[in-house]
Amino acid sequence: MEIIAAITTGMLAAIGIWLMLSGNLVRILMGVVVLGNAVNLGVVASGRLGSSQAAFTTMEGVASGMANPLPQALVLTAIVIGFALLVFALAVALRAHAEHDSLIADDITREALLPAPDLPAADAGEIRT
Amino acid sequence: MLTGILGILAAMLVAPLLAKRLDQRAAWLLALAPLAAFLWFVAQVPQIASGVPLRESLAWVPALGVSLSFSLDGLSLLFALLISGIGTLIVLYAGSYLSDHHQLGRFYAYLLGFMAAMLGVVLADDLIGMFVFWELTSITSFLLISFQHEKPESRRAALQALLITGGDGLALLAGLILLGDTGGSWSFSTLDSQTIQASPVFPAIAVLILLGCFTKSAQFPFHIWLPNAMNAPTPVSAYLHSATMVKAGIYLLARLNPIFGGGGGWDGALMLFGAGTALLGAILAFRQTDLKRMLAYTTVTVPGQLTMLLGTNTSYGLQAFAIYLLAHSLYKGALFMAVGSIDHATGTRETGYLGGLIRFMPLTGAAVALAAFSNAGLPPFFGFIAKEFQYAGLIELGPLGWAITAVMTITNALLLTVAGIVFLRTFLGKQGRYPKTPHEVGVAMWLGPMLLALAGFALGVLSDFPEVWLIDAAVQAISYGPVAVRLYLWGGLTPAVVTSLLTVTLGVLFYLNSHRVRNALNLARALWHIKGDRLWDNLLHGIFRLAAWLATPFQHGSLQRHLALLVGVASVISLAIAAPLALHGLRDMQTSPILPPSLGSCLLTLAGALGVCFLRERIAQIAALSLSGLGLGLFFLTVNAPDVAITQIMVETLSVVFIALVLRRLPRSRRQPDTATRRALRLGIAALFGLAIAAVMLASLGRPLQGDIAEWFTAHSLPLGHGANVVNVILVDFRAFDTLGEILVVTLAALAAAPMLGSGLRPGGTAQRGFESVLLQQTLKPFAVLMLLIALLLLWRGHNLPGGGFIGALVAACGVLLVALGFGSRAAKGVLRAEPATLSGLGLALAAGAGVIGLLRGQPFLSGSWIAPGGVPLGSPLLFDVGVLLAVFGAVMHMLLRLLDEKEA
Repeated sequence: MEIIAAITTGMLAAIGIWLMLSGNLVRILMGVVVLGNAVNLGVVASGRLGSSQAAFTTMEGVASGMANPLPQALVLTAIVIGFALLVFALAVALRAHAEHDSLIADDITREALLPAPDLPAADAGEIRT
Repeated sequence: MLTGILGILAAMLVAPLLAKRLDQRAAWLLALAPLAAFLWFVAQVPQIASGVPLRESLAWVPALGVSLSFSLDGLSLLFALLISGIGTLIVLYAGSYLSDHHQLGRFYAYLLGFMAAMLGVVLADDLIGMFVFWELTSITSFLLISFQHEKPESRRAALQALLITGGDGLALLAGLILLGDTGGSWSFSTLDSQTIQASPVFPAIAVLILLGCFTKSAQFPFHIWLPNAMNAPTPVSAYLHSATMVKAGIYLLARLNPIFGGGGGWDGALMLFGAGTALLGAILAFRQTDLKRMLAYTTVTVPGQLTMLLGTNTSYGLQAFAIYLLAHSLYKGALFMAVGSIDHATGTRETGYLGGLIRFMPLTGAAVALAAFSNAGLPPFFGFIAKEFQYAGLIELGPLGWAITAVMTITNALLLTVAGIVFLRTFLGKQGRYPKTPHEVGVAMWLGPMLLALAGFALGVLSDFPEVWLIDAAVQAISYGPVAVRLYLWGGLTPAVVTSLLTVTLGVLFYLNSHRVRNALNLARALWHIKGDRLWDNLLHGIFRLAAWLATPFQHGSLQRHLALLVGVASVISLAIAAPLALHGLRDMQTSPILPPSLGSCLLTLAGALGVCFLRERIAQIAALSLSGLGLGLFFLTVNAPDVAITQIMVETLSVVFIALVLRRLPRSRRQPDTATRRALRLGIAALFGLAIAAVMLASLGRPLQGDIAEWFTAHSLPLGHGANVVNVILVDFRAFDTLGEILVVTLAALAAAPMLGSGLRPGGTAQRGFESVLLQQTLKPFAVLMLLIALLLLWRGHNLPGGGFIGALVAACGVLLVALGFGSRAAKGVLRAEPATLSGLGLALAAGAGVIGLLRGQPFLSGSWIAPGGVPLGSPLLFDVGVLLAVFGAVMHMLLRLLDEKEA
C-alpha cells in the first residue's frame, strides 16, 4: 500500500506543478490545491499505513496496530491552513483581475513592472536595466 | 581613553538638541568635549615620552577573543593630540562657518562622531577593534561629504569616497584577519615581526593591507576621491581630508612598519607609490585656479610623501615622517580654514578674483602667511625641518635615494609655488574684484587658523621641545630598531641644505613664471584626458552593465519561467540523490497489504486531478477538483485517520463554495496559445517533479520509522492528557503551542484576504440574496440548526472520539453557509449575532488564556490543568479547543460574508 501511496503522491504532485506552470491564475490556484493534497497524502503515508484501528486509546492500555497519530495531527492543521491559503490566493487573484483586467500571470507582471508615468524617461530606463 | 571617546560620543548625541536651542553658540559648549580629551592627552605626554605606553582593555566579544583594548604610545599620542586639538578648533570654526545652515545640529553630530571614530582608530590595540573604528570613519566621512546633499556633486563625491574607502576596507579586513591568524595574536603590540615575515602568506597580507591603507590615504591610483571630497563644507575638508582621516591610512602603515618593515618589498612599495603620488599631486595642484582645489591636490601630495618617508626606514626619514605629519596637519588645517574664511568673506575662491585682501582681513592674512611659510618649507618654520630631514633621509639611501630626491625637489618646489599663490596672490598685490565686500571674520573663525599657524612657527623655533616630548616617542614606535632623535634648524652645509636651496630657487622660478610653466604643462594635453574620474565613471557603468547582463536572464519577471527553473533544478537534484535510495528502499521495504478501498480512493483522487487538467468547462473543473479532494478524504478514512478525513471533507466542501463564488466574478479563462515545445517542457518538468517526489517518498518509506515520539504520545494520551483521541490530545495539549500559532495564521490570512474579497456591505449596496425557493429554504432550516448542534457535539466529545475544535468549526461554518446561501447573507449575520472577526479574536484570546492558566499554576505556558466537578472532566485543553473553534469559525465566516456581500461585478 505504501508504494501505491508514494506513486499517487508523485502523480498528484506532477499534476499540481503542471497546473501551476500554466500561466493562468485560476489554473495556478487549482494547482496549488492539488499540490497541497499531494503533500498531505505524503505526510500521512510517511507515518506508515496498514494500521488495524484508529488512534484511540482506552483505559486498558494501548492496543497494537494503532495508526500513527503524529502525522495525522500535522495534516489536520495543514488542511485548515491550506484552506486559508487557498482563500487568500483566491482573493489575490480577484484583486489582480480587478486591477489589471487579466488572469494571465505574465501579463500582470508586465503591467505591474511598467515605470510610473510621472518618472522621466531616462530614469525609467535605468530602473528597467 | 575609553572615557574620552565615550565623552565625545555623548557630545555627539546631545549636539542636535543643543544646536536647536543655541544655534552656533552650541559650538562653544560642544568643543569642551574634544578640548577635555586634548588636555587629557597633553597630561599623558610625560609618561609616554619616558617610553611607557598606557593600556586599557575591555572585553567585547570574549568568545572570539576580540577585546576593546586601547594602547597609547608615541605614535598614537601624536595622532590623538592632532585629532582632539584640531577637532576642538574645527568645532568652533564650523559653528560660525555654517551658522545659517538649518541642519547645523546634525553637522555637529557627524563631526563629533567622526572624531570619536578617528580617536578609536589611533588608540585601538586590537586588530578587529581598530577595523571597526576604521569603517566608522568611512561612514561618518560619507555623511559629512554628502552634508550638502542638495548638490548632485556632493552626493556623487560622497558615494565615490564611500565606495573606494569602504570597498577597500574589505581588503583591509581580509588582510587583518590573515595577519591575526598568522601572527597568532590580535593586538598590534604583541604581533611578532619574524613569524609574520617568514610566513608564506606574508605577501598577501602586505598587499591587502597596503590596498586598504592606500585607498584611505588617497595614494595613486585611488587618489581621485580626495579632491572630489572637497565638495564637503570647508571645516570638513580641513579636518577630515587634510588633518586626520587621510592620515588614518598613514597611521596604519606606520603602526605596522615595525612589523612589516625591512624586507619583503614593503619599503620599496611604500617609496614607489608614495613618491609617485606626491609628484602627481603637486603637478595637479599647480594646475588649479580654485584655492580650495589647489589645497586639495597638495593634500594628495603630502600623504604620498609621508608614505615614501616611512618606506625609507632610515633614521632621518622616520624623524622626517613624524615632523612632517605634525607640521602638515598644523599648516594645512590652518590654510583650509583660512580659505573657508576667504570664501565666506569674499564669496569666491578663484585666484583670478582675489588680491590685496590683507587690508580687509589682517588676522586671517597673518595666519595664512605663517602657515604658507611653513608649507613652503622656509626657515625657521617647522615645515623647514621636515623638508630638511626628508632630504637627509633620502640621501642616506644612496643612488635610489638620489633619484627620489630629485623627484621630491620638484615636488617641494611646486608646493612652494602653490604656497606662494595662496598667500601672495590672495593677500598682497592690488585689490581683487570680489563678489562681496570682504570683512574680517569672527573670533571663532580666525582663532583656529591662527593657533595652528602659530604652533607651526613655535615648534620650528623651539625645536627641542617637540623633539623631547613628542617626536622621539613617535619615532621609536614606528621604527623596528632604536633610533636616535635630534631635531635642529641648522646642521651645517650638508647635502640636504644644498638640496633645500635648490628647491627654493626652483620654487621661486616656478612662481615667477607660473603662466609659462602652466602652459608647458598644458602641452601634455593628451595626458590630462586620462582622467581618473572618467575612468571611475566608466568602471561604475561597466559594473552596472555587467550586473544587468547577469541578472536579466533570471529577473525576467515571468512567474512561469521562475517556477519552471526552480522546480526543474530542485527536481533534478533531489532525484539524483533520492533515486538510488528509493531503489534500495523498494528492496527492503516492509509494505502493508493493498486494501481495495484505499486503492480505489487513490484512483479517485488521481482521476479528479486529471479531470482538472483536461476538462474545459469551469464548473466541471471545480467538480473534478472537489472529487479529487473527496477521494483524498476517503483515503484518510480507509487508513484509520477519521479526524483527518472529516476535516478534509469539510474543507473540500467549503473550498468548492469559495472557488465557485470567486470564479463567477472572474471571466472565463481564455485558452493560452501554448507552443508545442513549451508544452513539452512543462510536461517534462512536471513529470520530473512527480518522479522526484515519489522517489523521496520511497526512499523515506524504505527506512525504518525513526523516533518514538508517536509511541510516547499514544502511551501518555490518556494518563497525562485525559483524552482517548490521541490526535486531538496532540493538537490541544501536547503540541498546543503549534496549534496556537496555526490558528493565528488562519485568522491573519482571513483578515488579510477579506478586504480583497470584498469591501463589505456598503450603504446602498445590495446584500447577497438567498435562493427564492420555499421548498429549499424549508429543508435547509432544520438542517443548518442540526449542523450547528453537531458542531458543538463534535467539540465536546473531540477529546475522546473523532471531533474537536477544528472539525467543529468547519461543520459549523458549513451550517451557516447553508443559511447564507439559502436565505441571504443578512440572515447568516443574524444567526451569528457578532462580527466574525470579533469571534476570531475572542477565540485567540481564549486559546491564549487557556495557556495562561498553566502559567498561573507555576507550570510552563499551555500546560494542561484539569478539574472534575461532578465527575465531568473539565480542563484547560477543552477551553483551548473552544478557542480553536471560535478562531477558525470566525475566520471562515469573515471571509465568506465579505465575499457574499460584494456587489456583483
